[in-house]
Amino acid sequence: MVLVAPPVTQRQGGGATAAPVLRVIDGRAPAGGVLELLRTDGVARVPSWAGLAGGLRAWLEDAAYDAVRARGEEAPPVVLGARQLLGPAAAVHEAADPRTGQRAAAGACEPDPPDDDVVLARLVRALFRQIATVGTLDDPLHDACDALRADGGGSGAVLRRIESLTPAERHALRETLGAHASRLMELLPRPEPDWRPRTDERVAIPLAGGRVVLHGVFDLLVDAPEGPGRARGALALSTDGAWGRTRRSLHYLALLETLRSGAPPCRVAQVDSSSGRFGAEDVREEQLRVMTAHACGWLAGASWGTAVGGA
Amino acid sequence: MDVLVSAPRPVEPATWRAARDAARALLIAPSSAASRARDGGFRVTEHDIRRTLHDASPPASGIERPFAWTARTARRPLGLAAVRALVAGDATTPVEAVRSRVAESSRLVHGGSHRAAQLDRWLAGLSPAGRAAVGAEAVTWCTRLWTAVNWDALGTRLVIGRDHWWDSPHSALLALRGRAEVRTGRADLVVLSGPRRASVRAELALVLLVEALRSRDDAPPGRAVGWWPDSGHLVLVEPEPAALALAAEAVTRVLAHGKALTSEAPDGPGVRPAA
Repeated sequence: MVLVAPPVTQRQGGGATAAPVLRVIDGRAPAGGVLELLRTDGVARVPSWAGLAGGLRAWLEDAAYDAVRARGEEAPPVVLGARQLLGPAAAVHEAADPRTGQRAAAGACEPDPPDDDVVLARLVRALFRQIATVGTLDDPLHDACDALRADGGGSGAVLRRIESLTPAERHALRETLGAHASRLMELLPRPEPDWRPRTDERVAIPLAGGRVVLHGVFDLLVDAPEGPGRARGALALSTDGAWGRTRRSLHYLALLETLRSGAPPCRVAQVDSSSGRFGAEDVREEQLRVMTAHACGWLAGASWGTAVGGA
Repeated sequence: MDVLVSAPRPVEPATWRAARDAARALLIAPSSAASRARDGGFRVTEHDIRRTLHDASPPASGIERPFAWTARTARRPLGLAAVRALVAGDATTPVEAVRSRVAESSRLVHGGSHRAAQLDRWLAGLSPAGRAAVGAEAVTWCTRLWTAVNWDALGTRLVIGRDHWWDSPHSALLALRGRAEVRTGRADLVVLSGPRRASVRAELALVLLVEALRSRDDAPPGRAVGWWPDSGHLVLVEPEPAALALAAEAVTRVLAHGKALTSEAPDGPGVRPAA
């Protein structure tokens, strides 16, 4: 079941459009915004997740082994994030680049130099994290820049880019960022502390002894209510309307979480700050299988000889 | 994590004592070299072992960045303080525990307390948004550790976030650091980051070596448990003679390569806190 809420403007203008859709998900319209969709108690954990996780890992290990054999054991590790795995085929060069591995190992994912979309995405994500942690914003541009400064060296290129903007460009950025921030504030109330919310949680699954690494970052993870079957909900943020890509990224992250902990998040949600669109779905076994097959196919189909200069 | 409470593999005290003495003997020569050094002493940490045994190639930037407080470097001390508060029952959630620790920094600094450390001063100097970013990183770090461990099963000998140091008796300039996030008496849990690497066993063995050298009896310490939160992967190093030899050899290699970090900023990863 995949549910998609209409954009904010549509919901504000015609609540009747949204209400029936949202009722399907948990029997009532979520007063708690998109987070409410993650915290529904009705989804039971599949008891066989652990067995499935073992099977998926074995499948991936086989594919990783073949990739390592094709590339040679001395080749640098292949680091596969959602961007490489779900993006254009040319991204194989990036995945095989040793600098990608070093950046990923350090937890950084910033291209250098950043373009306007990357700058906006980094700023919005900083605000998203602030909202999820403290629930308030002051001046969005100031707040986001302060957060990136505290973040350290990985954000230096973004900050330098912002500092180089003309006053008009800066004004436009402030306006755009303010619109994103308003939508996030409307859609994303601060999670209750007992949900154990955590932002930017990194997952990295080494395969073939670490020669292939599948990695990704959950924008937000929350736990299910106390009790048997305590499980997680995950939320992904997109800033550019890339709804389908974000959804596939969530499936990829659900696979990584399955490999890490033996079970995926019960439910995943996504919110797009450029449109106000949000939605949620239960994680299903077939999604994990499809994503595993995609990763194996990627590893099998990659042109390693070209990508790593004949390695 | 059952490995934190189950008994480590038994080892004969006499065998252990012999291995410890051999490791100590291996460190005498480096100690003497340290005592002759004119430009400061050697403090060997697990970071130095990793640098020497694993990161042989220079960093991508070609420049070794000096230590600086960032959300990433502050998450461990803040997260550990938060876990301590949770275990003690002073806070009920990681968010609350981290918020309390961050607020304490402001109180210490603005109240002029002599207890204010460099981290406190850095935190207090940030804007609310900056502190929120740092807090968010610490909440994630803390929550991962807090939810990974069955704290009720760990008993009362629990020590959270205390580094142990061994000072060479042959030179006041040589010291080894054993870092562990959680010490249960039967195991020392070390939170790992970065890629899987061949040097990790030597990094964890250093924890055992420091415990062995500090010990006033012949009882072996608990096992060292390395845990990658990113992957859930565990690496165990049992308190065996081979582990002491591995660590002592790694320390001598660090010193031979001159890679002990002696020029970091105060409170940096390789710097011993004031007693």
